[in-house]
Amino acid sequence: MASMEKRLQKELLALTKDPPAGVKVDSQRICTNLSEWTVDLEGAPESIYEGEKFQLMFKFGSRYPFESPQVMFIGEHIPVHPHVYSNGHICLSILTYDWSPALSAQSVCLSVVSMLSSCKEKKRPPDNAFYVKTCSKNPKKTRWWYHVLLNKVERNSVNMYEEERPCDMK
Amino acid sequence: MGNCFKTPSTDDISLLRGHDNQDGAEQALGPPPPYQERVPVYHPSPNVSRLANQLSEEEQIKIAKRLGLISHLPVGVYDGSSKKGKECVICMNEFILGESLRFLPCMHTYHRDCIDDWLMRSFTCPSCMEPVDAALLSTYETN
Repeated sequence: MASMEKRLQKELLALTKDPPAGVKVDSQRICTNLSEWTVDLEGAPESIYEGEKFQLMFKFGSRYPFESPQVMFIGEHIPVHPHVYSNGHICLSILTYDWSPALSAQSVCLSVVSMLSSCKEKKRPPDNAFYVKTCSKNPKKTRWWYHVLLNKVERNSVNMYEEERPCDMK
Repeated sequence: MGNCFKTPSTDDISLLRGHDNQDGAEQALGPPPPYQERVPVYHPSPNVSRLANQLSEEEQIKIAKRLGLISHLPVGVYDGSSKKGKECVICMNEFILGESLRFLPCMHTYHRDCIDDWLMRSFTCPSCMEPVDAALLSTYETN
Protein backbone atom coordinates (compact mmCIF):
# COMPACT_ATOMS: atom_id res chain seq x y z
CA MET A 1 0.00 0.00 0.00
CA ALA A 2 1.56 3.27 -1.11
CA SER A 3 0.30 5.39 1.79
CA MET A 4 1.78 2.99 4.31
CA GLU A 5 5.17 3.13 2.62
CA LYS A 6 5.13 6.91 2.65
CA ARG A 7 4.29 6.99 6.32
CA LEU A 8 6.99 4.43 7.14
CA GLN A 9 9.55 6.47 5.23
CA LYS A 10 8.59 9.55 7.23
CA GLU A 11 8.73 7.64 10.48
CA LEU A 12 12.11 6.17 9.67
CA LEU A 13 13.49 9.59 8.79
CA ALA A 14 12.15 11.06 12.03
CA LEU A 15 13.52 8.22 14.13
CA THR A 16 16.95 8.40 12.46
CA LYS A 17 17.18 12.17 12.72
CA ASP A 18 15.68 12.69 16.13
CA PRO A 19 15.64 9.44 18.10
CA PRO A 20 14.55 9.25 21.76
CA ALA A 21 17.44 8.90 24.22
CA GLY A 22 18.98 5.43 24.09
CA VAL A 23 17.45 4.55 20.71
CA LYS A 24 19.41 4.09 17.51
CA VAL A 25 18.27 3.05 14.06
CA ASP A 26 20.57 2.15 11.26
CA SER A 27 18.50 3.36 8.32
CA GLN A 28 21.05 1.96 5.86
CA ARG A 29 20.17 -1.50 7.01
CA ILE A 30 16.45 -0.89 6.68
CA CYS A 31 16.40 0.68 3.21
CA THR A 32 16.07 -2.68 1.49
CA ASN A 33 12.91 -3.67 3.35
CA LEU A 34 10.85 -0.89 4.87
CA SER A 35 8.46 -3.26 6.59
CA GLU A 36 11.05 -4.77 8.91
CA TRP A 37 13.22 -2.67 11.18
CA THR A 38 15.85 -3.47 13.74
CA VAL A 39 16.26 -0.82 16.40
CA ASP A 40 19.11 -0.67 18.92
CA LEU A 41 18.20 0.19 22.49
CA GLU A 42 20.48 1.03 25.35
CA GLY A 43 19.46 0.84 29.00
CA ALA A 44 19.02 4.37 30.35
CA PRO A 45 21.64 5.82 32.70
CA GLU A 46 20.73 5.31 36.36
CA SER A 47 18.27 2.56 35.51
CA ILE A 48 18.96 -1.06 36.41
CA TYR A 49 19.66 -1.72 32.72
CA GLU A 50 22.30 1.00 32.44
CA GLY A 51 24.82 0.20 29.72
CA GLU A 52 23.01 -2.94 28.56
CA LYS A 53 22.33 -3.19 24.84
CA PHE A 54 19.21 -4.68 23.34
CA GLN A 55 17.67 -5.05 19.92
CA LEU A 56 14.03 -4.52 19.06
CA MET A 57 12.48 -5.89 15.91
CA PHE A 58 9.55 -4.10 14.28
CA LYS A 59 7.42 -5.76 11.61
CA PHE A 60 4.88 -3.57 9.88
CA GLY A 61 2.03 -5.42 8.23
CA SER A 62 0.14 -4.21 5.18
CA ARG A 63 -2.59 -2.79 7.45
CA TYR A 64 -0.23 -0.54 9.38
CA PRO A 65 -1.00 2.03 10.86
CA PHE A 66 -4.53 0.69 11.33
CA GLU A 67 -3.04 -2.33 13.01
CA SER A 68 -0.13 -2.26 15.43
CA PRO A 69 3.32 -3.33 14.33
CA GLN A 70 4.68 -6.60 15.66
CA VAL A 71 7.39 -5.63 18.14
CA MET A 72 9.68 -7.90 20.12
CA PHE A 73 13.18 -8.10 21.50
CA ILE A 74 15.54 -10.18 19.39
CA GLY A 75 19.10 -11.42 19.64
CA GLU A 76 21.17 -12.88 22.42
CA HIS A 77 20.37 -10.28 24.98
CA ILE A 78 16.72 -10.11 26.04
CA PRO A 79 16.13 -7.79 29.01
CA VAL A 80 15.15 -9.55 32.22
CA HIS A 81 11.96 -7.64 33.01
CA PRO A 82 8.58 -8.60 34.53
CA HIS A 83 6.84 -7.77 31.23
CA VAL A 84 9.36 -9.25 28.83
CA TYR A 85 9.35 -12.98 28.17
CA SER A 86 12.61 -14.79 27.55
CA ASN A 87 11.61 -15.30 23.89
CA GLY A 88 11.52 -11.52 23.42
CA HIS A 89 7.74 -11.06 23.57
CA ILE A 90 6.68 -7.87 25.32
CA CYS A 91 3.47 -7.44 27.27
CA LEU A 92 2.65 -3.83 26.49
CA SER A 93 -0.92 -2.72 25.90
CA ILE A 94 -0.17 -0.25 23.09
CA LEU A 95 1.14 -3.17 21.04
CA THR A 96 -2.32 -4.72 20.95
CA TYR A 97 -5.57 -3.38 22.44
CA ASP A 98 -4.46 0.16 23.09
CA TRP A 99 -2.87 0.69 19.70
CA SER A 100 -3.96 3.79 17.85
CA PRO A 101 -2.86 4.99 14.40
CA ALA A 102 -1.74 8.22 16.08
CA LEU A 103 1.06 6.19 17.68
CA SER A 104 4.25 5.46 15.79
CA ALA A 105 7.48 3.49 15.89
CA GLN A 106 8.91 6.39 17.84
CA SER A 107 6.20 6.26 20.49
CA VAL A 108 6.60 2.49 20.77
CA CYS A 109 10.36 2.95 21.32
CA LEU A 110 9.65 5.57 23.98
CA SER A 111 7.20 3.26 25.76
CA VAL A 112 9.65 0.37 25.74
CA VAL A 113 12.48 2.57 27.01
CA SER A 114 10.31 3.95 29.79
CA MET A 115 9.04 0.48 30.65
CA LEU A 116 12.66 -0.59 31.16
CA SER A 117 13.68 2.59 32.96
CA SER A 118 10.87 2.40 35.50
CA CYS A 119 11.66 -1.20 36.47
CA LYS A 120 13.01 -1.75 39.97
CA GLU A 121 13.83 -5.42 39.92
CA LYS A 122 15.14 -7.70 37.20
CA LYS A 123 12.90 -10.69 36.99
CA ARG A 124 11.00 -12.62 34.36
CA PRO A 125 7.20 -12.72 34.22
CA PRO A 126 5.89 -15.36 36.66
CA ASP A 127 4.44 -17.50 33.84
CA ASN A 128 7.53 -17.25 31.62
CA ALA A 129 8.30 -20.97 31.33
CA PHE A 130 4.73 -21.91 30.41
CA TYR A 131 4.19 -18.98 28.06
CA VAL A 132 7.41 -19.50 26.12
CA LYS A 133 6.52 -23.15 25.60
CA THR A 134 2.94 -22.57 24.46
CA CYS A 135 2.79 -19.17 22.75
CA SER A 136 2.55 -18.37 19.06
CA LYS A 137 5.65 -17.02 17.31
CA ASN A 138 3.79 -13.80 16.73
CA PRO A 139 3.25 -11.92 20.03
CA LYS A 140 0.20 -10.22 18.55
CA LYS A 141 -1.58 -13.56 18.63
CA THR A 142 -1.39 -13.76 22.39
CA ARG A 143 -4.46 -12.56 24.25
CA TRP A 144 -2.75 -10.36 26.78
CA TRP A 145 -4.38 -9.52 30.02
CA TYR A 146 -3.67 -6.01 31.22
CA HIS A 147 -4.46 -4.84 34.71
CA VAL A 148 -4.49 -1.36 36.05
CA LEU A 149 -4.18 -1.56 39.82
CA LEU A 150 -3.72 1.41 42.09
CA ASN A 151 -2.52 3.49 39.16
CA LYS A 152 0.25 1.04 38.60
CA VAL A 153 0.00 -1.11 35.55
CA GLU A 154 0.45 -4.81 36.22
CA ARG A 155 0.53 -7.07 33.25
CA ASN A 156 0.28 -10.78 32.87
CA SER A 157 -0.32 -12.92 29.90
CA VAL A 158 -3.09 -15.44 29.88
CA ASN A 159 -3.57 -18.17 27.44
CA MET A 160 -5.83 -17.69 24.58
CA TYR A 161 -9.14 -18.94 25.86
CA GLU A 162 -10.72 -15.68 26.91
CA GLU A 163 -13.65 -14.71 24.74
CA GLU A 164 -14.04 -11.15 25.86
CA ARG A 165 -11.42 -8.50 25.51
CA PRO A 166 -9.39 -9.36 28.58
CA CYS A 167 -8.91 -5.86 29.74
CA ASP A 168 -9.65 -4.83 33.24
CA MET A 169 -9.35 -1.07 33.16
CA LYS A 170 -10.39 1.21 35.95
CA MET B 1 -24.77 -4.09 2.71
CA GLY B 2 -27.65 -6.44 3.39
CA ASN B 3 -28.20 -9.01 6.05
CA CYS B 4 -27.74 -11.87 3.66
CA PHE B 5 -24.17 -12.81 4.51
CA LYS B 6 -23.73 -16.51 4.65
CA THR B 7 -22.28 -17.84 7.87
CA PRO B 8 -19.82 -20.63 7.19
CA SER B 9 -21.26 -24.03 7.94
CA THR B 10 -19.35 -26.23 10.32
CA ASP B 11 -20.67 -29.33 8.59
CA ASP B 12 -18.38 -28.80 5.62
CA ILE B 13 -15.32 -28.83 7.84
CA SER B 14 -16.38 -31.91 9.75
CA LEU B 15 -16.75 -33.74 6.44
CA LEU B 16 -13.24 -32.76 5.44
CA ARG B 17 -11.89 -33.92 8.79
CA GLY B 18 -13.37 -37.33 8.11
CA HIS B 19 -10.60 -38.12 5.62
CA ASP B 20 -8.16 -40.78 6.70
CA ASN B 21 -5.33 -39.10 4.87
CA GLN B 22 -4.26 -36.11 6.99
CA ASP B 23 -2.37 -34.46 4.13
CA GLY B 24 -5.43 -34.63 1.92
CA ALA B 25 -7.50 -32.92 4.59
CA GLU B 26 -4.85 -30.24 5.02
CA GLN B 27 -4.91 -29.53 1.32
CA ALA B 28 -8.67 -29.36 1.22
CA LEU B 29 -8.59 -26.79 4.03
CA GLY B 30 -5.89 -24.77 2.28
CA PRO B 31 -6.17 -21.24 0.91
CA PRO B 32 -9.60 -20.19 -0.33
CA PRO B 33 -10.19 -20.26 -4.08
CA PRO B 34 -9.22 -17.00 -5.81
CA TYR B 35 -12.76 -15.87 -6.58
CA GLN B 36 -13.21 -15.07 -2.87
CA GLU B 37 -10.69 -12.25 -3.12
CA ARG B 38 -13.35 -9.90 -4.38
CA VAL B 39 -15.40 -10.24 -1.22
CA PRO B 40 -14.81 -7.09 0.87
CA VAL B 41 -12.83 -7.44 4.08
CA TYR B 42 -14.22 -6.04 7.33
CA HIS B 43 -12.60 -5.54 10.70
CA PRO B 44 -15.17 -6.24 13.43
CA SER B 45 -12.53 -5.31 16.00
CA PRO B 46 -8.95 -4.10 15.77
CA ASN B 47 -6.54 -6.74 14.49
CA VAL B 48 -9.44 -8.93 13.33
CA SER B 49 -9.97 -9.18 9.59
CA ARG B 50 -12.74 -11.20 8.07
CA LEU B 51 -14.25 -11.57 4.65
CA ALA B 52 -17.78 -10.24 4.47
CA ASN B 53 -19.15 -13.75 4.01
CA GLN B 54 -17.37 -15.03 7.10
CA LEU B 55 -18.82 -12.54 9.57
CA SER B 56 -21.00 -13.80 12.38
CA GLU B 57 -24.48 -12.34 12.61
CA GLU B 58 -23.42 -10.29 15.61
CA GLU B 59 -20.49 -8.86 13.68
CA GLN B 60 -22.69 -8.01 10.71
CA ILE B 61 -24.99 -6.04 12.99
CA LYS B 62 -22.06 -4.31 14.63
CA ILE B 63 -20.63 -3.31 11.25
CA ALA B 64 -23.98 -2.10 9.91
CA LYS B 65 -24.49 0.03 13.03
CA ARG B 66 -20.98 1.37 12.77
CA LEU B 67 -21.47 2.36 9.12
CA GLY B 68 -24.61 4.21 10.16
CA LEU B 69 -22.88 6.03 13.01
CA ILE B 70 -19.93 7.05 10.86
CA SER B 71 -22.27 8.55 8.30
CA HIS B 72 -23.55 10.93 11.01
CA LEU B 73 -20.12 12.42 11.63
CA PRO B 74 -19.60 15.75 9.88
CA VAL B 75 -17.41 15.93 6.82
CA GLY B 76 -15.89 18.88 5.01
CA VAL B 77 -13.20 19.99 2.67
CA TYR B 78 -9.84 21.38 3.74
CA ASP B 79 -9.94 25.10 3.13
CA GLY B 80 -6.49 25.95 4.45
CA SER B 81 -7.62 27.22 7.87
CA SER B 82 -5.03 26.09 10.38
CA LYS B 83 -7.59 25.87 13.18
CA LYS B 84 -8.52 22.41 12.03
CA GLY B 85 -4.93 21.16 12.22
CA LYS B 86 -2.64 20.74 9.28
CA GLU B 87 -1.68 17.12 9.26
CA CYS B 88 -3.56 13.86 9.29
CA VAL B 89 -1.84 11.84 12.02
CA ILE B 90 -2.97 8.60 10.41
CA CYS B 91 -1.16 8.93 7.08
CA MET B 92 1.21 11.64 8.39
CA ASN B 93 0.56 13.78 5.33
CA GLU B 94 -0.35 17.44 5.42
CA PHE B 95 -3.84 18.34 4.34
CA ILE B 96 -4.05 19.66 0.82
CA LEU B 97 -6.64 22.25 -0.24
CA GLY B 98 -9.80 20.54 -1.36
CA GLU B 99 -9.14 17.22 0.38
CA SER B 100 -12.07 15.55 2.03
CA LEU B 101 -11.91 15.63 5.85
CA ARG B 102 -13.95 14.21 8.68
CA PHE B 103 -14.45 16.00 12.00
CA LEU B 104 -14.85 14.01 15.20
CA PRO B 105 -16.90 15.34 18.16
CA CYS B 106 -13.63 15.79 20.11
CA MET B 107 -12.62 18.32 17.42
CA HIS B 108 -9.85 16.19 15.96
CA THR B 109 -9.73 16.15 12.17
CA TYR B 110 -8.50 13.51 9.75
CA HIS B 111 -8.67 12.62 6.10
CA ARG B 112 -12.06 11.10 5.56
CA ASP B 113 -10.68 7.89 4.06
CA CYS B 114 -8.05 7.52 6.78
CA ILE B 115 -10.38 7.94 9.75
CA ASP B 116 -13.23 5.91 8.27
CA ASP B 117 -10.88 2.98 7.88
CA TRP B 118 -9.95 3.28 11.57
CA LEU B 119 -13.47 3.89 12.86
CA MET B 120 -14.61 0.65 11.29
CA ARG B 121 -12.14 -1.12 13.59
CA SER B 122 -12.43 0.98 16.71
CA PHE B 123 -14.91 3.74 17.38
CA THR B 124 -12.40 5.95 19.18
CA CYS B 125 -10.43 9.04 18.25
CA PRO B 126 -6.84 7.97 17.47
CA SER B 127 -5.45 11.14 19.04
CA CYS B 128 -7.33 11.41 22.33
CA MET B 129 -8.80 7.87 22.52
CA GLU B 130 -12.17 9.46 23.27
CA PRO B 131 -14.99 7.04 22.38
CA VAL B 132 -16.81 8.61 19.45
CA ASP B 133 -20.25 7.14 20.14
CA ALA B 134 -20.50 8.60 23.65
CA ALA B 135 -19.72 12.05 22.28
CA LEU B 136 -22.17 11.54 19.42
CA LEU B 137 -24.95 10.53 21.79
CA SER B 138 -24.40 13.57 24.00
CA THR B 139 -24.67 15.88 20.99
CA TYR B 140 -27.98 14.22 20.10
CA GLU B 141 -29.28 14.69 23.62
CA THR B 142 -28.39 18.37 23.78
CA ASN B 143 -30.02 19.04 20.41
